[in-house]
Amino acid sequence: MTCQLVQERLSEWLDGELAMGVSLAVSEHVAACTRCARHSQELRAVTGLLAELPRLESVDPGAGPLALRLELAGGNRRPGLALLFRSFVAGRPHILPSLLTAAAILLLAIGAILAFDTGPLPEVRTTATWATAPVSGTEGNPLFPSAEVMPQQRAALAPEALQKDGEDSVFLETVVARDGSVAGVTVLQGDANVEQALIDALRQQRFEPVRYRGRYVAVSVYRLISRMEVRSPRT
Amino acid sequence: MSKWFERDGRGTVGTSGMSLEARPLSGALGERDLVASCRTGDAEAFARLVQLHEAMVVNLAGRLLGNVEEARDVAQEVFLQVYKRLAAFEGRSSLKTWIYRIAVNQCHNRRRFWHRRRRDRETPLDEQLLARPLPGGGPSAAASPYDETLRLERARRVQAALLELCFEHRSVLVLREVEGLSCEEVAVALGVPEGTVKSRLSRAREAMRRKLAGLLDGGSPR
Repeated sequence: MTCQLVQERLSEWLDGELAMGVSLAVSEHVAACTRCARHSQELRAVTGLLAELPRLESVDPGAGPLALRLELAGGNRRPGLALLFRSFVAGRPHILPSLLTAAAILLLAIGAILAFDTGPLPEVRTTATWATAPVSGTEGNPLFPSAEVMPQQRAALAPEALQKDGEDSVFLETVVARDGSVAGVTVLQGDANVEQALIDALRQQRFEPVRYRGRYVAVSVYRLISRMEVRSPRT
Repeated sequence: MSKWFERDGRGTVGTSGMSLEARPLSGALGERDLVASCRTGDAEAFARLVQLHEAMVVNLAGRLLGNVEEARDVAQEVFLQVYKRLAAFEGRSSLKTWIYRIAVNQCHNRRRFWHRRRRDRETPLDEQLLARPLPGGGPSAAASPYDETLRLERARRVQAALLELCFEHRSVLVLREVEGLSCEEVAVALGVPEGTVKSRLSRAREAMRRKLAGLLDGGSPR
């Protein structure tokens, strides 16, 4: 048995915890090896030093018996509601009660939201074109502007557009603000020559403000303007 | 309160020279009776239980935490836990081992509590208290002042070396060497297998041997 193996087993050997054969081999080695013998003596001395440590005084001489102090410390008292309202940032917070409090607050918040909610918003048809949409302002299509206040608008078309005959079409998105004015016009598809003139004309339009559940709202109107007649002023 | 339970300063009781272990109360039957009385809410029985185990809990906590005041505080926590959990004590281990287990856990929690607040590295002011013998007793009461000083200094260095160990090694060493528990009892008190106790004990002793090399060479303490 090597010194390393013996030294690994010295602690158990000193405690008498080794099996008979191993213990005998360690004893023989320690008897023959001065280094391991010294090692074992030092370990024995360590255990002796620890055992010699003085016992500590159990109670402060100026204080009463521990049992009495236990009673005063609240050993028989229940913590009560203080547990629930213990701060999250307290030095030693109670995790579970804190979680319960947080869960209760969350449930209350969800309940409040559900109580004030009157149902889902109706689906808004954003892809409908002017040509296929129901009559504006009807029950089946409440979000469309009901009527243009100033429907007769003249578009000052560009000279290039005036030279052109035939049919044309422009697909537009018009955003109607809450007060009925046009907030923006976007040409989604169409002739670039007539865009600006149309946009300027359409921006002058006024719509009947759209109301939804008693409140004025902004809406987007998609319009396909087709068969536009382009006439020369001379004719 | 009976005179049987006056503490003599070494964790044993008795004024007639009999050790606590010889008394019927500390035997298996006495312990069961005591636990049963405590469970019924008998305040005097619980006071007796506290008195029987208080010294060992304070000593264990003091050696594990290196601070006497902390140890006394922990002792209160330990007995509060004992009071609350006594109904769950099944008697599979001895009451003493069960209380040791609670005490070690409380010390571990307290150490982590201070560690989180970066206050575990503060030097306790009561190093001398940890090396101080009990008043009016102890094996060195008749020693010369020089020997007594040497002994206290040696105890101080041993305690300092003990506190340098990790908590696992420290707890196994204190339970085995200072409190005198068997490896089996230490295993129950720490909630680990007996083989783990033996390997930890071996490494802890080796670490102490290296830390106390100056003392073991026969040199006087600095």
